[in-house]
Amino acid sequence: MTGKISATHAALLGIIMAISGFITWSALSASTKLNNLVVVAPVAAALLLLTVTIVVGALRKPMSAETETHSAVWGDLLLLSGFAAFCFALTYIGFDVATFLFVWAGVVMSGGKGLWQPPLFAAIFTLLLVKGFGSLFPYPMLTLVL
Amino acid sequence: MIDQFALSQAMGLLFTSFDPWIWVIPGLLIGLIFGSIPGLQISMAMAVFLPVTFGMEFLQAMLFLTSIFTGGAYGGGVTAILMNIPGSSSSIATAFDGYPMARQGKHNEALGLGLAASVVGAFFGYLLLLLLIEPLAAFVLKIGPMEMVVVVLWGLTLIATLNDSSLSKGLMAGFFGLILSQIGMSTTGIMRTTVGNPHLLDGIPVVPAMIGIFAASELLRLRGSTYLVQDKAQRDISIPRILKGVVETFRYPGVLIRGSLIGAVIGAIPGVGSSVANLVSYGEAKRTSKTPQAFGKGAPEGVTAAESANSSSEGGSMTALLALGIPGGAATAVLLAAFSFHNIIGGPSFIRNQTDIVYSIILGNLGQVVLLAVIGLLMLRVLGMVVRVPLSYLVPSVLAMCAWGGYGITGTIAGPLTVAAFSGLGWLMRRSDYPVAATVIGLLLGRMMEGELVRTLQISGGHPMNYLLERPIALTLFIIMILVLVGAPVLKAVRKRKQASAEHTS
Repeated sequence: MTGKISATHAALLGIIMAISGFITWSALSASTKLNNLVVVAPVAAALLLLTVTIVVGALRKPMSAETETHSAVWGDLLLLSGFAAFCFALTYIGFDVATFLFVWAGVVMSGGKGLWQPPLFAAIFTLLLVKGFGSLFPYPMLTLVL
Repeated sequence: MIDQFALSQAMGLLFTSFDPWIWVIPGLLIGLIFGSIPGLQISMAMAVFLPVTFGMEFLQAMLFLTSIFTGGAYGGGVTAILMNIPGSSSSIATAFDGYPMARQGKHNEALGLGLAASVVGAFFGYLLLLLLIEPLAAFVLKIGPMEMVVVVLWGLTLIATLNDSSLSKGLMAGFFGLILSQIGMSTTGIMRTTVGNPHLLDGIPVVPAMIGIFAASELLRLRGSTYLVQDKAQRDISIPRILKGVVETFRYPGVLIRGSLIGAVIGAIPGVGSSVANLVSYGEAKRTSKTPQAFGKGAPEGVTAAESANSSSEGGSMTALLALGIPGGAATAVLLAAFSFHNIIGGPSFIRNQTDIVYSIILGNLGQVVLLAVIGLLMLRVLGMVVRVPLSYLVPSVLAMCAWGGYGITGTIAGPLTVAAFSGLGWLMRRSDYPVAATVIGLLLGRMMEGELVRTLQISGGHPMNYLLERPIALTLFIIMILVLVGAPVLKAVRKRKQASAEHTS
């Protein structure tokens, strides 16, 4: 039985190829001098070669049994999306509100029990973070409530 | 090598009053806290507290700032061990074996190993500095781009050893990091892609990327579990077990000494420092170990090698600062600012005219290292409590801190967004068994290597190999590197074959 590449592995290889192709194209259009390509060119060639090796290797390997459930993958993706939204929202809705909402939702999504414990923990944690961690920042930090 | 008169004067400066030591314990605590929170850098702590030193005596100020440096170097290793989140790039290799140890319920032993290796490494680094400051300064002056290329290449060779199951995946991850390091303006001022984002002009910010790829992806993996350490009985923070780890460190004297030496020498090279030292030391420990297969799965030697090197590099980095007035990194740049606060200029004249002050700084640091052993041991009880927090609460809290840390580094939205992007990338990589550390190493060293390669090409007139033959230090390092890379595995294979044939005949 021959193997196949999982969707996440294919996505990763696709991302790596797309990014390295774009960086190589951008470096080549900027300048074709050796000084500019001394790292880009050999590394891009090596990446291409390695991708072929990995794809061929994966296709020739016997198929392994999927151990993880789809719900776990979707759970991870949901939390990742929430995390990305939280990172984006920090400077828009304020560090305090964004942190409070993210930690509350994150605790519930990760299996935190109880109605009042997750929001209470999120509130205390946000307060500590804003007053402790935030006070050490040498940069201004947008907050909505605190 | 040591000016006896200046040494006795230094003793007098340090021990006739308690004043120089007043700020050492607060400094160590600040360093430990800053070092152990991802995103809070040691250099940032030193910069934040720099104005405090304005009213201090010069020696007092130096001891305060260097104690933050010393505490921070160990603090970074604590989160690397407990949560697989290196507090700084100098603790990347600590996570390789420290975290698997913690997951096996050996977090006490790992913390003890890290503490002892840090203390021994830092002590060794400063001792070497005390004995060899003048010859080391001459050595540093002889380091050029060619030597830097060889050292950085040495650091990069670790990439190939990071994934036992598939060499191609390890190389892929490392090369991906290298190509990512090429985003933004090149070292020669050529504008490559910034994807239309001005925040990427200087390239991808490495520390937020490291936080994202290590921390966030690992935290997502932990989501299904209940605690970092599953066995309830193992979750306690036990001083006797930490002390057991401390004792265990000394079972690897070779790793400890080699790590400290590598750290001190690489730390002395301006611009390279502890980020490379811990990787080179880890790589060497793995190559020379009798059980290389145990590395990455909780080998105590791995923690010892990484922590001894990153701590001893602190003494090394002080070489260039004290002897030449050149800061080797961000932390020593803050120290240089403190020098100018007190109208002192580092360099050969500083060593010649104020040898007693130089010695008192070094001796004071040796004292700090001893204090770190005590303070670190006491603080571990507090820092180690993280294993008792349910993961449903720990995962979102640390994720939030990671985003905050990203902002703390850049001061713009670019930091948190880099953390988010790299956490997604890290999640994908871990799912397909790619070593995320290799990508970080590539990202960290890519720009450094490009700059040094370009300078080498320019100096050599396009003939780097001929130029290599004219550089004795680079040539020696290159030969040692090749011998280590090729010779060690060949020797091992020969030994294995001999052993097998001996067993076969008996």
